[in-house]
Amino acid sequence: MQRIVSMTLAGCAALALTACDGNPLARKAETKSEVGVPKAEFPQRVYWGDSHLHTENSGDAFGFGVRLGPEEALRFARGEEVTSTLGLKAKLARPLDWLAITDHSDGLGAIKALADAPGLLIRDPTLKRWHDLLNSGPQGSQRASAEIIDAFANNRFPAEFNNPDDIRKRTRSIWDKHLDTVERYNEPGKFTALLGFEYTLMDGGKNLHRNVIFRDGRAQVEQVLPLAALGTKIPDALWAYMEAYEKKTGGRVLAIPHNSNLSNGLMFQMTEPGGGAMSAAYAKRRAAHEPLVEITQIKGDSEAHPFLSPNDEFAGYGVTGWELGDLAMAEKKRPDMFAGEYVREALKRGLTIQDRTGANPYKVGVIGATDSHTALATGDEDNFFGKHTGAEPNAERAMQQQNLGSRQGRFGWHYLAGGYAGVWAVANTRSAIFDAMMRREVYATTGPRMTVRFFGGWDFSDSDLSSDWVRAGYKRGVPMGGTLRSGQGRPSFIVSALKDPDGANLDRVQVVKGWTDKAGKAFEKVFDVVWSDPAKRRLAAGKLPPVGDTVSVARATYSNSIGAPQLATVWSDPEFDAGQRAFYYLRVIEIPTPQWPAYDALRYKLKLPPGVRVKAQERAYTSPIWYDPPA
Amino acid sequence: MNWRGAAARVLREPLVHFLFGGALVFAVFGGDGAPQDRRIVFDSAQVERLSAEFAQTFRRPPTRAEQDALIANAVRDEVYYREALRLGLDRDDLVVRRRMRLKMEGFATAPVDLAVPSDTTLQVWLDKHPARFAGEPIYSFEQRSAFGLPATLNDVSADEVAALFGDPFAAALDGLPLGTWTSVASGYGTIRVRLVARRPARPPSLADIRQQVENDWRAAQAQASEERAYRALRDGYSVSIERPR
Repeated sequence: MQRIVSMTLAGCAALALTACDGNPLARKAETKSEVGVPKAEFPQRVYWGDSHLHTENSGDAFGFGVRLGPEEALRFARGEEVTSTLGLKAKLARPLDWLAITDHSDGLGAIKALADAPGLLIRDPTLKRWHDLLNSGPQGSQRASAEIIDAFANNRFPAEFNNPDDIRKRTRSIWDKHLDTVERYNEPGKFTALLGFEYTLMDGGKNLHRNVIFRDGRAQVEQVLPLAALGTKIPDALWAYMEAYEKKTGGRVLAIPHNSNLSNGLMFQMTEPGGGAMSAAYAKRRAAHEPLVEITQIKGDSEAHPFLSPNDEFAGYGVTGWELGDLAMAEKKRPDMFAGEYVREALKRGLTIQDRTGANPYKVGVIGATDSHTALATGDEDNFFGKHTGAEPNAERAMQQQNLGSRQGRFGWHYLAGGYAGVWAVANTRSAIFDAMMRREVYATTGPRMTVRFFGGWDFSDSDLSSDWVRAGYKRGVPMGGTLRSGQGRPSFIVSALKDPDGANLDRVQVVKGWTDKAGKAFEKVFDVVWSDPAKRRLAAGKLPPVGDTVSVARATYSNSIGAPQLATVWSDPEFDAGQRAFYYLRVIEIPTPQWPAYDALRYKLKLPPGVRVKAQERAYTSPIWYDPPA
Repeated sequence: MNWRGAAARVLREPLVHFLFGGALVFAVFGGDGAPQDRRIVFDSAQVERLSAEFAQTFRRPPTRAEQDALIANAVRDEVYYREALRLGLDRDDLVVRRRMRLKMEGFATAPVDLAVPSDTTLQVWLDKHPARFAGEPIYSFEQRSAFGLPATLNDVSADEVAALFGDPFAAALDGLPLGTWTSVASGYGTIRVRLVARRPARPPSLADIRQQVENDWRAAQAQASEERAYRALRDGYSVSIERPR
């Protein structure tokens, strides 16, 4: 009997230690085969997901307090109820179809490791201070997090933190566990869990972050570790990493820049980084690796800014607060920086560069994502779990200062509840979703799940709408993300938008066109192409009367008594010039609805000061269709 | 069951791991480090451990002076730790409480993380929770009004119907006659629908959804194991609660 007890103790010791070490599972979860999942002839339905989510493995998310990991993130995205870090029951009204967890590669797990480290081993005074703050409760933890982001942005990380050997070991153990969890939740045909990470590239406080998403499963992806940015300022090292990965494993990987709105003009430069004309080779390399940008997310919307698009009455959604400076507020924004930050302008710049060099570095499709740091991918106004754990539902969050390393100008209500991506894929599998992203057959929404189709061709007419127009769209045209080569006459476009079945009616659908003239100068124009209540609302001097407003802020309600559940038309470009390079994308505008601060005000009986965003017209943006003139 | 079988069963029981694990930790770290103990002994093994950790960080062994500093710091840490315990500073510290609770919960759930459930175990789990893994009814229908969606939908699950047309519409399909055009409320207003085929939900086979069942089983075991462990400890206390009037 004595022996049994001592054996038990030995076994427990082993268990206790593995438990403390993060416990690599006894066996590896394997990638499940996609063989047998039927693939549609062409995309039949849109798959909703989030390509940008952080869990406790992200240093800043951990610092902000989150204690939920990838498993909870996946369960939540699949539609299960989980308990948030602060103890609230959290559940999506509707599940997502896919999810990519993208924890920061820089310091992957390092902050958790720092918090968990025995204090006596930490000799660097800065690290010691962070260690103590991280363990001193939510406020200290958030303070440490702000300081860490600031130090990272300014490349002032203590050397001890950057020990490559430690980083590699730490990263490997977290990465292996992560691969295991993700493989366990990836179910081809039902729910896709993509592997990825965030490459947190910064130039000072200027945001040049990219999310990196793999097409492949564990067998390929475990051959690499997430690449850390570690003080580099240009994306070349990332592209080299991606090229090396594809060569080594035969897999595929793409990168998605986000928050160009916080790059102070660096995300979409006319030049190569550091100045100098952009070469065709550089443009091609960027386009090959970065087919998409994240156009809308919690930290603001990057479609269009009123400074750049003064004639666009719908420009400027979700720019308040974010337009003040870069991510860390290390440098204030000057108006001349906007052009390098907003996606519409980037699309225009791409045309100009292509005119000049023959290659377009910014031939990008668009997606929305959350960038939640709570492990909870929430995109609905009435169920918003905040940017980070400190902003989980509570009475103060709308008016709280949001420092993120800075001390000025940004408040809780500047966060947008949203950002999801709609993907037109032939199946709900890793390969099908990745391939749709590569061909840019994707679109962004600020949260609502509108169904949006967009085809460009040369012979579409109204009569197409009365037959099988989706098949016709694919057969005789190109879908969003595609390129029209020259044809007869003027291009025509099939446009169809369906409201979110659980959401608000639609106000209008617009075509946003950009083009360049002979001198390479770029222009833009917004066309209202189909709208609700056309009998009463008529274009006057190119403008449409507003749809109306049924929002009761006090009750946080709206009514679908205005707007339309679906809008469809065939539109051809009245100003088409066959010699001009151009792009066209759709912007679908909902009727006004209450925004999350209004739901908070109702829930917590708040009196919000004037100026706080309590209602807005949410929207979808599609990837463009490009037109290439004959050479 | 002979004693060997009983012992093996006991050894597999997470609660046993939990209790003995806790006892072990107490034995190793609690024993002579208890607050009332006034001796601090740093034996050669502990000094070696400090040096090894230093070497791991700095990729060289510590010098004698550095080793002295490490030891002095460790002693200082121990003195403060014991004095803090003596003063009861651990008791009203939220962070300490939370971390200790996490560690205790970790003991209870670690074996579940490592467990490899058999098909039988999972089949039992599946049979026990039919609602959780219920298959879905499958529909084929035509619709005429939602222009942006396919006019013909074949073999679509109830969940997918709800995602496309809203929950009330999906619920209404069960009551529709086959082969007749009718009007049904949807997320896009009333639309015209003709139900062509309807297949009631079938219980899924384990092979089809093994991973899902395993994930669910594992999460539930971890929770149950933690709860059992807690109950066992909780039973040792008498708790009385006085509510303010």
